[in-house]
Amino acid sequence: MLILPMVVFAGLPFIVDSESSYLVFFLFVTFINITIVQGWNLVGGYAGQVSLGQHAFFGLGAYITAITWLRGLTGYFDPLAMILSGFGAAILAIGVGIPLLSKLRGDYFALGTLGLGEILRVIFTQGGTLTGGSVGLLLPSRVYESMKPYYFISLGLAVFATIAIYFIIKSHIGKALIATRDDEVAAEASGIHTLKYKVLAFSISAFLTGLGGSLQAYYLFHIHPAGFFSLKWALYPILMSIMGGAGTILGPVIGAFFLTGVFELVNIWLPEGHPIFSGGLIVVVMLFLPNGLIRLRLKRVIGKKGERRGDK
Amino acid sequence: MKGKFAWYVVSLILVLLVLMATGAAFAKEKKEILIGTNLPMTGILAGVGVEQKWAYEQAVNDLNKKGGILVKEYGKKLPVKLVVADDESDPGKAAAVVERMIKMDKVDLLLGGFAAPFGVIPGCVTAEKYKKYYHTSICLIPPWLEQKFKWSTLFFFDLGQGCDIPYQIWDSFPASDKITKPALLMEDSFDGRAFSGIFRDLAKKHGYTFALDEPWAIGQKDYSSLVVKAKSLGVDAILIFGADADCITFVRQMKESKLNVKYMHGWKGTWAGEFWNALGKDAQYILCDGFWSMDFPYPGAKELGERYVKKFNKYSVSIGALYGLCQILWTAIEKAGTLDSAKVREAVLANEFDTVMGKVKYDKDGVAVFLSTASQWWDGKQMLVYPFDRTTWKVKVAPPWDKR
Repeated sequence: MLILPMVVFAGLPFIVDSESSYLVFFLFVTFINITIVQGWNLVGGYAGQVSLGQHAFFGLGAYITAITWLRGLTGYFDPLAMILSGFGAAILAIGVGIPLLSKLRGDYFALGTLGLGEILRVIFTQGGTLTGGSVGLLLPSRVYESMKPYYFISLGLAVFATIAIYFIIKSHIGKALIATRDDEVAAEASGIHTLKYKVLAFSISAFLTGLGGSLQAYYLFHIHPAGFFSLKWALYPILMSIMGGAGTILGPVIGAFFLTGVFELVNIWLPEGHPIFSGGLIVVVMLFLPNGLIRLRLKRVIGKKGERRGDK
Repeated sequence: MKGKFAWYVVSLILVLLVLMATGAAFAKEKKEILIGTNLPMTGILAGVGVEQKWAYEQAVNDLNKKGGILVKEYGKKLPVKLVVADDESDPGKAAAVVERMIKMDKVDLLLGGFAAPFGVIPGCVTAEKYKKYYHTSICLIPPWLEQKFKWSTLFFFDLGQGCDIPYQIWDSFPASDKITKPALLMEDSFDGRAFSGIFRDLAKKHGYTFALDEPWAIGQKDYSSLVVKAKSLGVDAILIFGADADCITFVRQMKESKLNVKYMHGWKGTWAGEFWNALGKDAQYILCDGFWSMDFPYPGAKELGERYVKKFNKYSVSIGALYGLCQILWTAIEKAGTLDSAKVREAVLANEFDTVMGKVKYDKDGVAVFLSTASQWWDGKQMLVYPFDRTTWKVKVAPPWDKR
């Protein structure tokens, strides 16, 4: 079922001109969103720990890429820089995850992570020449040649994130995370070291978000605290994940496509009033589809199977 | 039923996106010139975005009333259509919407957004990727030059000239009003940091020493500690850089704490009509920066200013630069005789332009400099005080709060 879209996406830049087609750019943005939404999905959807601090990991990933490039340690589209960005974010997640996840639960954990993003924004604003302060870091945009590498790397990241989450969830780690989400006390009583698994999920989530930040840095060539530590990088993944179906593999993919598309179309049609429309749409969807779009499909499939078996 | 509906919605969006990718590609006879612009219509810069959009629209309407621009390549006059995209005051979105306008709307050329980090630099970078001309203003010159852009040009004031104005004004004061203990209070931001370094260097050159020199973090809501410090140090003049909300709060707290200064000059936050509306007579005597004045002796300046006052019931010291930016582009297109980005940019660099800002000439790097202005608030209007040769208004020194 998933092979056909994969083939279509992989072949698209060879069918349309990636330099003049807006679809290629739209998909690039969507694939970055899928990567960070899958990250949030693991910690929020499967482990049940609502993180409001993904913007910290996104911004940190972007800054690691920019700083290492400007200091001559890495280069343009350097895999080492991207991996370092992911690991930098993951290490931060472990560092703050252990105290936060061992002491805080539910809303308190969410607020704790929200603070993390704000702390990092201030640190990077005050970071002097290393971070460029509030001015940020300007990367040499002259190296840009084509949209194609951006497209394929973002597609690769989205596929990697989705497959990685799939295998994690199928493994004993996934089962431990789901058990923790459903009843933490019962999970502990069953011998699951819940803190270990929650921190692991949080760090994997940060790793994926850091990778997304790194690619966005390569695309924008200008990294500054207001843009990269913007709260939208924490809120959009949550919205996309919940709207598509948190705690499922394909839900975040559908949510990312749906919301990125809606935001884009509404921005075109209502340039001055799109936040009202987008906000209204989110309210309506959450009212009528609180479990996400993916579960509509699952419900129908289950319903049909039930009918065939003669269930009412 | 609900399920079917949701899948129809998803399918519809996908179909529309495919149309987005292909729909605009069909060749048509050229009937209009499409000029795209990324403006902050929502987000923290929405207020200035509305003003910028108005200035661009005025320039487009005035041009179209005359039949448009004669483009030799098409052998006829073509009207201009402005394509506005909201960049949401967000650099990532600014890059995205410029990309969209180039690829989907197929704009011929681009007009700049607002503020270097939010709209202009991302716009320039994206235009550079697709070799589309981005004709811009509202960006400090040094960070723009650093990028060595080849597909954009910049029309803005020189920071050194703008920062020198208060010292020139102080130097012109009689001995009884000499400034001895000025304060430099700058917002810790992209522009704030750039301004503060130059203010310090120029203060030394003019023989002034700041009694108080402190940045503040963006979004700070309470300035009482700065006000108390300034009062205890006997500060007699303030140079302040910040958003209008910050400057309004600062002046209110100055008045509450009876911090009396002879001279207060603001950048960015004291020029908007909202500053006067919020403070009323408490804004009297305060100076603001600006790009332009409706009192400039250039054709169209007064009329543009009057139109603005009629529309918004307040004055502006910025719209002339944006209107003038469009005037330059219209003339350059006509001189180039084509809508080809490289040739239009060449025409911008090669010619001199008559605008509501006066004569404009770009250098080889693609920069044209205009003089930053200074005006003093007086009964709701910004009275031009600098450049000295274009005004008769003399700066009035502020009396203490209890004597106003």
